[in-house]
Amino acid sequence: MTTGRWLVISCVAALAAVPLLGSATMVQYGISALSIAALAQAWNILGGYTGYASFGNSVFYGLGAYGTAIAMVDGHQSFGVGLGCGVALAVACAWLFGGPILRLRGPYFAIATLGLSGAMSAVVSNLGFAGKNVGLILPLYRGDELFYELSLALLVLCTLAVAWIARSRFGAGLVAIRENEDAALVMGVNTPRYKALALMLAAGFSAVAGGIHAYWSTFIDPASAFDSTLNVKMVIMTVFGGPGTVLGPIVGAFSLSAISELLASQLSTMASAFYGLVIVLAVVFMPGGLMELGRGFRRGGRHYFLDNMRRFRL
Amino acid sequence: MHLAAQILLNGILLGGLYGLMALGMGLVWGVLNIVNLAHGAFIMLGGYAVYYCYAGLGIDPFAALPIAMVGLFCLGYLVQRFVLSLIARAALLSTLLVTFGIDVVLTYLALFAFSADFRTINPSYAGDHFDLGGLTVPLAQLGAFATALVLAGGLRMFLARTRTGRAIRATAQNLTAARLHGINPRRIYPLSFGIGTALAGAAGGLYGVVSQVTPYMGNTLTAKSFVIAILGGLDRPLGVIAGGVALGIAEATTDIYLDPTYRNAIGFGMLVGILVLRPTRLFERA
Repeated sequence: MTTGRWLVISCVAALAAVPLLGSATMVQYGISALSIAALAQAWNILGGYTGYASFGNSVFYGLGAYGTAIAMVDGHQSFGVGLGCGVALAVACAWLFGGPILRLRGPYFAIATLGLSGAMSAVVSNLGFAGKNVGLILPLYRGDELFYELSLALLVLCTLAVAWIARSRFGAGLVAIRENEDAALVMGVNTPRYKALALMLAAGFSAVAGGIHAYWSTFIDPASAFDSTLNVKMVIMTVFGGPGTVLGPIVGAFSLSAISELLASQLSTMASAFYGLVIVLAVVFMPGGLMELGRGFRRGGRHYFLDNMRRFRL
Repeated sequence: MHLAAQILLNGILLGGLYGLMALGMGLVWGVLNIVNLAHGAFIMLGGYAVYYCYAGLGIDPFAALPIAMVGLFCLGYLVQRFVLSLIARAALLSTLLVTFGIDVVLTYLALFAFSADFRTINPSYAGDHFDLGGLTVPLAQLGAFATALVLAGGLRMFLARTRTGRAIRATAQNLTAARLHGINPRRIYPLSFGIGTALAGAAGGLYGVVSQVTPYMGNTLTAKSFVIAILGGLDRPLGVIAGGVALGIAEATTDIYLDPTYRNAIGFGMLVGILVLRPTRLFERA
């Protein structure tokens, strides 16, 4: 355990040192890779541990971005205060939406979240103080190193939260909800509160990522803040890495970001189509993600894939 | 009063088309127990099929519908046969994720092949309309509505009267009992999925005539189809059309009295409202 801990700490330290040694493009690539990993990790709390497939987490990302931008542009606040406003806005909305939406299960929940992002961008593009369709321009800050370290800190924080969830009573309750919600309720898990807390946690972390991105890119509009491709990415990266594991989303996010970066240099639309293909293949051939692949492959070789494929066949 | 009647008419005409979209989704959901998140992408492909038949080959959009339907049927049949059949017995989350992945693949392949430009199918009669008791009835919209009704009626007849249709309904009601009576789900599943995507293709072509086709149109249409399928009941084709009309009227009212940008918010509000009020009515299989 202690060697594992040292390994993790040295990995984080190595990542933190990248801005000192690496090039500017590497830092920029790092910012997006780290924040998408943090988003995947946040999705993991609700999607991986609780088993509620959300296709609308980008709403909280967008709300974080808008909260930060509105506080900084309209309220002339500092970035720290703005970020706090963004998180507060997203968590409040998660609490507000969570009430009705989390009563829904399975496909009903999935589709409700799918509609959520469309609805939210419609609402925002009608608000005058949010810049309507045109968007908001934030004060310029040139310092990619700061954004890089902030993104890294967010990812570490989010992962620590998930690591705590994985071994806490709260996390056990979430897993119980995933495996059998009615049984969990009967056993005394306060399922509505657990689900609401999971959603609010995920919303808070996603909002920080949104706020950081808003300040970094210095411009947001409804299309970029509520970008549905973000949802695509966070779901697929988590499922590819290993849903319901602590390190799975990070492994999935880093590996897929690297591959798609390589593909995107050739053809950007093909990189997105590739994401879709990955999720189909991952669910069919390795439903446990990369985290389970190593163990399964050692035990059964290529039969691991074939067994997974045969398990749910008609 | 006159304005209200005109809104109602516009809503009804568009709503019939929404109903047609939901028909395929409801069928697939009921029979295969899959909520097909790629349904909107199949609608989008139908739109492009009709667009290219019209713009490239000069075929009238209404005449091109059968072509789009046959094409989409084949595509849907193959997708079920070779992809979805692999997860036919998996947990719901897996089927959601896989259809989501198919949606992403189709959307971006379409973006690559057809570009992000808005396409409109503009036959010579696109702007034509006639007066009916002071109301303006747009011809293309009326044609789309009538086609939707015909297809829904046809599906109803097919499900109720033919041997295959009965087999599909039996599979939806009880898979085990259906198998005991010699119905092979390996034949019924791809067939039902193909019919679902063929209906999506027809809806997409008609949508291209009354609105626009873009690679990104799928997501909101998937959500709308889902709302309507629940509203109308999964096993009643004409009820689904009625559900579509309800959504169409709600949207048209929003357009006039609020702002067109709130359209998607209304669909979402209805969705959550309906689901929260009666969440466990349909197809809650253990």
